[in-house]
Amino acid sequence: MKTQAALRMTGIAAAMLAAFGSARAQQVEPLAPSALNTEASSVSLGAGLTSNDGRRSGEYNGITRDGAYGLIDFNLVRRDDETGTWTQIYGRNVALDNAQLRFEQSRQGDWGYFVDYARIPRFEPFVITTGVTGIGTPNVTVPVTPSATGIAELSTRRERLDVGGEKFFAGNWDVQLSFRNEQKNGARVFARGSTNPAFEFTPEPIDSVTRLMEAKLNYTTSALQLSGGYYGTFYNNNQSNGLNIIGGNAGLASFTPIALPPDNQAHQLYLTGGYNFAQSTRGNFKLAYTKATQTDAFISPVNPPQAPGTGDSLEGRVDTTLFQAGIVSSPMPKLTLRGDLRYEDRDDKTPVRVFFSGTSPTSTSNGENEPRSIRTSSAKAEASYALPASFRLTAGIGWEEKKRNVSAVRVVSARETTDEVSYRLELRRMMTETLTGSLAYVHSDRDGSPWLTTVLNDGVTPGSNLIAPIWLADRKRDKVRATAIWNPTDPLTLTLYVETASDDYSHRDNSNVGPQKGAADNYSLDVAYAFSERWQANAWYTKYDARAEQSSGVSPVFSAKLKNLSDNFGLGMRGKPLEAVQVGADFSYSNIRDVFDQQTVVGAPVATIPDVNTKLTRLNVFGRYAIDKASGVRLDYIYDRYSTNDWLWSTWTYTDGTTLSENQKQTVNFFAASYYFRF
Amino acid sequence: MRALLAACCGFLFLSSGALAQSPSAEDISSGKYCANCHANAHLIWAGRHGTKADARAPVSVGCAMCHGDPAEHVKSPANPMPRRFSKMAAAEKNEVCLTCHQGRTRIHWQGSKHERNDVSCSSCHQLHAASDPVRDKLTQVDVCFACHKDIRPLINRPSRHPIREGMVSCSDCHNAHGSVGPSMVVRDSVNDTCYMCHMEKRGPFVRTHQPVQEDCSICHNPHGTTAPNLLKIRQPFLCQQCHEPTSHRGTAGSLTGSSSAANTVARGCLNCHTNIHGTNNPTDLNNERTFRR
Repeated sequence: MKTQAALRMTGIAAAMLAAFGSARAQQVEPLAPSALNTEASSVSLGAGLTSNDGRRSGEYNGITRDGAYGLIDFNLVRRDDETGTWTQIYGRNVALDNAQLRFEQSRQGDWGYFVDYARIPRFEPFVITTGVTGIGTPNVTVPVTPSATGIAELSTRRERLDVGGEKFFAGNWDVQLSFRNEQKNGARVFARGSTNPAFEFTPEPIDSVTRLMEAKLNYTTSALQLSGGYYGTFYNNNQSNGLNIIGGNAGLASFTPIALPPDNQAHQLYLTGGYNFAQSTRGNFKLAYTKATQTDAFISPVNPPQAPGTGDSLEGRVDTTLFQAGIVSSPMPKLTLRGDLRYEDRDDKTPVRVFFSGTSPTSTSNGENEPRSIRTSSAKAEASYALPASFRLTAGIGWEEKKRNVSAVRVVSARETTDEVSYRLELRRMMTETLTGSLAYVHSDRDGSPWLTTVLNDGVTPGSNLIAPIWLADRKRDKVRATAIWNPTDPLTLTLYVETASDDYSHRDNSNVGPQKGAADNYSLDVAYAFSERWQANAWYTKYDARAEQSSGVSPVFSAKLKNLSDNFGLGMRGKPLEAVQVGADFSYSNIRDVFDQQTVVGAPVATIPDVNTKLTRLNVFGRYAIDKASGVRLDYIYDRYSTNDWLWSTWTYTDGTTLSENQKQTVNFFAASYYFRF
Repeated sequence: MRALLAACCGFLFLSSGALAQSPSAEDISSGKYCANCHANAHLIWAGRHGTKADARAPVSVGCAMCHGDPAEHVKSPANPMPRRFSKMAAAEKNEVCLTCHQGRTRIHWQGSKHERNDVSCSSCHQLHAASDPVRDKLTQVDVCFACHKDIRPLINRPSRHPIREGMVSCSDCHNAHGSVGPSMVVRDSVNDTCYMCHMEKRGPFVRTHQPVQEDCSICHNPHGTTAPNLLKIRQPFLCQQCHEPTSHRGTAGSLTGSSSAANTVARGCLNCHTNIHGTNNPTDLNNERTFRR
């Protein structure tokens, strides 16, 4: 856990200034520090001031409190033209919590290496009032009687170090090496509970290291490209011995320790490549074998003692074999054919043992662990033909089959195989002076093997068998997508994007509960207009709606029509009123409504759940004055408003007295001035 | 309009004393001559394409390496360059770039969703500029949103990745140049991609949650949601899409009442089933095998 100071003098940079990404008309100024270009060297120094606390806007950069901040960005790029050696040093947000630093040096076409450092923080946006102590450690003490005596600031921080290099050799060979070490510390919201009822706030301590390493050998010619190597991933939890909870409600006394994520690792060997059989025909492939293991020791002390013969660890092992092959060919100028095959066998070889001995005959478990093996096979074929008037017609078919292992005793309904066939038809118009666009229709149909009847642990009594889980259920999906880019005049561009998709799920026999329908609609219109070389503007509107219909319950049976409805729009402007002055503004607004429409189908009335309305407003205004060709000053103003009536935490108090709350109307004003120098 | 532009360019050529004589090969290969009309064309030489010490770099040949022999165009702007990228089909444009850039992470470009949808390299990359926005984590997302309008409103949702802060970019998860994974994810599967940052979810565990092991995107929308933790739908409704309606699992959502509220508010079903991604606890004292301990 990290305690935040009320006032900090830290750096802020383009990340904050560019919080309005989707409304921007052009890239931010000054030049983005990551640009590897000899004309991109720059240093930017300044200061900013926030007027209010903004726990939402500062969730990932740490600017959660009002106060003053520094502004520091730099990017130094040099190329030695004699040797072709590049040197780059850049920093972004260097004094902020989300700082990024990079050093890179390379002799182009010969060798190169880099060192990258990044901090990725997350500050819990909710204020936590609690009497729980030991937060951030694996030993948490929960008050026996409700008590909320202090404020806990939860956060996590990832500190990431990447190093890598490459070396080219004669004969079209090269080697690439990369290594990442990411240390993650902090605590996150976590809890334990039972229908006693008692629910207690027991924050999860986080102290772990994630490592990725990759070594590749590449061979590249104009006809043949190969890349083979090793990819290893490692997770080490320094607190994998469980979360111990002291105190708390007597009814939860046995809920300790709580298992924390175990160490695990995976090793992959792979070979991928492509070959140009002819100018009009190319094939590619990938072969990969991955061995993943999880052999971390079980939590200690185990409560109650383990079943005999279950060992000290799970001895988990999952082997995954992947094969993919694809081909693209144009047997005649107007016709392009594409084909692709893919096979992935995830073989969970974890030994099956009875971990929970003495399991009740009426249990939905027989005490065994449940390895999950999945074998996925897929194939795609597509033909695309050029028609007159710059039209192109494309038709394709895809097939995917998934086979899964099934445990003898289950909580959830299962089927061993699902198959999905999809058909795609698209008409596209390209290359006209003023209009390009496409219209596509996709239909897919998923079904599978017969549903397996869930049986309780006595092996005879059927369990509940009413639901077809959403990712296994028979489903018909239709999707229509239309795009158009129209330049009616030189300065004006209109872009239209329409996508509408619908899902229709089938029920189990003799049942009408479970997922029924789903839909997603997206309507977007973008307009960009250049008034002159000095003044440009853009505007966009997106309506994005997602809906799901489902039902559940026995008495009562109820339906739930769930909607996520949103209207979003943005405006952007860039101008150059004087030769030395640039100005710009970006505005974005989202109005999002979540609807939870529950209705009784059979039985007693069900409660109504209020809608959740969320509004997000952002305005970014900047002005830049060039003192001379190399230097200048920049002023920024940002307005950020978050508004919601979300009830998620507002009606909830943990049994120990802990509450999570937030200011449901957060407004942040940010002012900044900086000086930049380019060289 | 094109005729007018050509006439203007021709006028500029003729009115410029420096250009009254034929340009040297050096002037053309360096881009200086081209910059008389194509204002920012020379900026490409400030980047990797312009590294003279690298024999592979286009600067060793000049503009002609990508655009074709400029001889006729130099004689008269009305004569188009052999390769006019603005008039070429995507596949033709890409062929030029792939001549040098087919290897490594671009091996699977052909057959990728972008290739099938006529995306060209220049649809995303700015070569004749001091910086290429798509290669900057902060500005990359704007380039992607030029087409992916459906994702644009999601990255600002209350539950999100730090995309707008430039800490996570589209290319951290997707290889725009093609991959063997679904949706062009950078690794071979959705889960393997997510594990790059969320490896604690990998397991395997004593108690595994089947959809967790199969595909994170069954429950999560990584681009942003209003439901917490990037969940597609709030609990209990999300869980009720798979779990039987009997017992407490079929309880309707409610903001009041000790048991039904426990399904809906705070962490929802996770108020009890706290280790929802799987638990490595080898014992089961009070039915905690259901991810409760």
